[in-house]
Amino acid sequence: MNNKNASKNTVQPAFPYAGPEEWRLPITQALQRVIDPEVAMTIVDVGLVYGISFEHGRLHALVTMTSAACPVTDLILEEVDAELERVVPAGTEIDVELVWDPPWTTDRMSPRAKAFMGW
Amino acid sequence: MKANRQSTTSLQTVITRLVFGAVVAASLVTGSIGGLVRAGASPVSNPGPWFAQAVVAHAFLMVCSFLGTVIGIERAVAVKKPWAFVAPAASGLAGLAMLAGHVGAAAWLALLAAGVFVAVNILVVSRQRAAHTVLLLIAASAWCVGCAFYALGTLPDALLPLWFAFLVITIAAERLEMTRLMKRRRHAAALLYAALTTLLLGAATSGLWRWGGVVYGAGLLGLALWLFSFDIARRTISAQALSRYMAICLLLGYGWLALAGIAWAATAIGFAARDAALHALALGFVFSMIFGHAPVILPAVARVKLHFSLVFYLPLLLLHSSLLIRLLLAQQSRDFLRIGAWLNTASIALFAACMAGSALAWRFKHSSTPSHHGHAHRH
Repeated sequence: MNNKNASKNTVQPAFPYAGPEEWRLPITQALQRVIDPEVAMTIVDVGLVYGISFEHGRLHALVTMTSAACPVTDLILEEVDAELERVVPAGTEIDVELVWDPPWTTDRMSPRAKAFMGW
Repeated sequence: MKANRQSTTSLQTVITRLVFGAVVAASLVTGSIGGLVRAGASPVSNPGPWFAQAVVAHAFLMVCSFLGTVIGIERAVAVKKPWAFVAPAASGLAGLAMLAGHVGAAAWLALLAAGVFVAVNILVVSRQRAAHTVLLLIAASAWCVGCAFYALGTLPDALLPLWFAFLVITIAAERLEMTRLMKRRRHAAALLYAALTTLLLGAATSGLWRWGGVVYGAGLLGLALWLFSFDIARRTISAQALSRYMAICLLLGYGWLALAGIAWAATAIGFAARDAALHALALGFVFSMIFGHAPVILPAVARVKLHFSLVFYLPLLLLHSSLLIRLLLAQQSRDFLRIGAWLNTASIALFAACMAGSALAWRFKHSSTPSHHGHAHRH
């Protein structure tokens, strides 16, 4: 499996989603365009997205990192913000929140990510 | 914790980045010049008073002032605490003080930097108690102990092992963090801790005991074997573009790390392999890691976006081929040491040019079409 395959835009129920059903696909696809180059996988496949709520013109994304010492945290959060901004209606308030609780574990990785990492 | 991101950059931030960039560049350039002179080259025709210091303090400039500052900035960016920038500020100033001939001030500034850096890593551990964060703290502590010995003028033979332990364990910790994505293999963690304990034991005894160098070399070799066996680079090398480039940098670096371990042990028992031990480690391993990680770290700390291309492989090729010339052929003639050192320096300069060029390429590619990245973010 290569990087291209790892970032393929298919939809899986990888994180809790609360909002209009018609926005689930574009939002998931937007998040699947955010790739962590060090691990060559999308943040959805790594399991960094803890949840999305899209209600009353406000999109709230809960995102974590695998390490508290990760210097590229802001960069990934900015990419999340930018990719979401591309797909949601103009005027939507986007709030990307970094959370550490619960801590990330490998249980959150998608089957595709686990296959790529040799599980 | 809310993400605090701004699309506009204040003048103060720009000035701070420029000052840090200038200090880091000054340390790297003068440290490299010092290294060239040590290898028998004459890079500067009319040297200023800083020149002798650059030669004498080559290791201090490269480890404490250049890499200490770069790693200090990287960690300060990660913890998002203004006081954390005291560490890279002090290590940067230490390099300038050293070049100005204030050796004592430089040594104490480096100790201040390392001390604050230890505090930063205690904060990291308090936020996330995990094996890799504890290793980052141990790496910082090794730097701090080394700087304390340097400031106090004691155990000079332990200095380089401790300073290199800072770099090597920092890298090991960051790679360990990545291996969390792979399936846990039995004994993998125990083997890593055994290699790093051997390394630290070797560093701790190097100033006191001849065989300390052998133990240290065994630790380096053990770590190289562990990284070859368990790092995700073996997986990500099958990816594309930047991810594959990074994996190649890592795997090449692990080869030099293994060679450095053997050469370090050989030097300790009397073989003439000191240059191979120091520079397989510093250039082959550490600079390979820098070449591999800079395309990801630079956008995070310097806020520039880079356009990846196959040109990235040119400085990498030059670095490794020049090391082969320097370390394998220098036994035949000292000319190879000098030529290799010139080409080592050229590879670093080419890498810097490559990073600058890829930043310009990104701007050029994204200047013609309005980018979503340029929007003001809505929060």
